[in-house]
Amino acid sequence: MIQNMLICRCEEVLLADIVASIENGAGTLKAIKMETRAGMGICQGRTCRMLLEQVMDFHTDINVQEANNLSYNNPVRPISLANLSRSGKDSEP
Amino acid sequence: METADVVIIGGGVIGTSIAYRLAANRKVMLIEKGEIGAQTSGACDKAIFLQSKKPGFPIKLAKASRMVYENLEEELGMNIEFQKNGGMIVIENESHLDFMKQFVKQQNKAGIHVKLVNQKEALAFQPCLSTTIAGATYSPEDAEVNPLLLTQAFAKAVKRKGVIIRRHTEVTDIVIENGKVVAVQTAKGKIATELVINAAGPFAPKIAEMVGIGLPIMPRRGVILISEKVKPMIHGNILCSQYIATKHLSHQTDDTSYGVGLSLGQTESGNLLIGGNREFKGYDKSVEPEVLSAIARHARRIAPSLDFIRIIRTMVGFRPFTNDGLPIISEAPHVKGFIIAAGHEGDGIALAPITGLLVASLVDRDLRYKEFLDQLKLDRFRAYNVSPN
Ligand SMILES: Cc1cc2nc3c(=O)[nH]c(=O)nc-3n(C[C@H](O)[C@H](O)[C@H](O)COP(=O)(O)OP(=O)(O)OC[C@H]3O[C@@H](n4cnc5c(N)ncnc54)[C@H](O)[C@@H]3O)c2cc1C
Repeated sequence: MIQNMLICRCEEVLLADIVASIENGAGTLKAIKMETRAGMGICQGRTCRMLLEQVMDFHTDINVQEANNLSYNNPVRPISLANLSRSGKDSEP
Repeated sequence: METADVVIIGGGVIGTSIAYRLAANRKVMLIEKGEIGAQTSGACDKAIFLQSKKPGFPIKLAKASRMVYENLEEELGMNIEFQKNGGMIVIENESHLDFMKQFVKQQNKAGIHVKLVNQKEALAFQPCLSTTIAGATYSPEDAEVNPLLLTQAFAKAVKRKGVIIRRHTEVTDIVIENGKVVAVQTAKGKIATELVINAAGPFAPKIAEMVGIGLPIMPRRGVILISEKVKPMIHGNILCSQYIATKHLSHQTDDTSYGVGLSLGQTESGNLLIGGNREFKGYDKSVEPEVLSAIARHARRIAPSLDFIRIIRTMVGFRPFTNDGLPIISEAPHVKGFIIAAGHEGDGIALAPITGLLVASLVDRDLRYKEFLDQLKLDRFRAYNVSPN
């Protein structure tokens, strides 16, 4: 079933979950993310963002460009805590 | 024009909790500029800490809120991941030991179950900790909750009760006539109402300005590192004694330490939340990389076993700071129909349940919570108590 299609692999969010959240009134990518956890996993939406945009495009008449209110915070790629602790300017030698 | 008995400004944990208590016998509208729970209430830890509160009124308030949590999940009919896992404050070095011994004594006297444990006992409970720590305090009364789910649960419950929620709608002005609130102007139209509740958290001063009131609330920035999912390795929340010191010092944090103090927890989905710091930087969300590495450095010193865990993102929030660490839950002195419910600093998740009840009591003018409300008035900040004539 297409409803069982996995949209966000990291957080195991199905198409059906996304559609349900849109039907509940989620009108932006951030709202969907906060409700379903789609895009919150290790890849931080790198895989599912395009799929999410397509689902929104298909199920709503919302302008996807406007509805993309996600911000991308540092770090841009996963980094170990040890490496992060050494990355700032004034870290100890 | 639309009308409402009450307009609540702000859809964070505080605004939604208030809406939940007011919805019973009124037409309530909740206006949120962005998404529900996406500002401070979606960029915070999940601790309901009791052991860290100051003796006297702050403990009393925290305990009253903690009591509401006991049945909240059932009441709201949704899983909010409320867990009574206890909490620990790590004492990193001997120099904090005396201060923390004193702290435990004082908290016990105030009726909080908290005890000092030695390094061995601390490590038995939290194996992730370093063998270099001096000890810890532990309280079985500390609990945790998922703040995202909590705000969503309140929002869902209020929708069932008939509250109208407007997302993506910014309040731009409040209309006053003869010293009374008569309407709220939003970017999408005007709502006639005689009662406005300012629950805009760190943004509450901007709302209060609309009616000519200065609020002594300042945004105190905090950052949390979020890790990939890992197997369960942290039980309950962990703070460090430095955090207690930083939290209870209200002056500007010094620049080299960035106000860093550990807060560590693990969500039910397995992500670690590694914090944090306290800085006054206005509403600037761009955190310098040095701050992130300072937080990481501090965390790995106390919990070296986290070294190879990968951080996948960070979140930044503004604690609504007041200089006595307590929220303002109060009518405005010179404007009729304007209630302030903001300024919960780093305790808004813990205090959200009681805040809804307090505001409902204030609106209903019953005397159930008079003792509490008397302590939370705006005019306790003397500078703001100047009479206009
Ligand atoms: C790093 C960090 C860690 C924390 N950890 C904990 C913890 O472990 N335990 C705990 O109890 N507390 C914790 N806190 C504190 C807690 O997060 C806050 O006290 C709480 O979230 C405040 O909630 P609020 O609803 O008042 O504010 P917010 O969640 O910020 O809600 C205010 C809302 O008002 C809206 N708004 C603003 N202006 C307008 C306008 N003009 N029109 C319409 N809407 C508007 C905003 O969009 C926002 O959604 C932490 C905070 C931080 C930053």
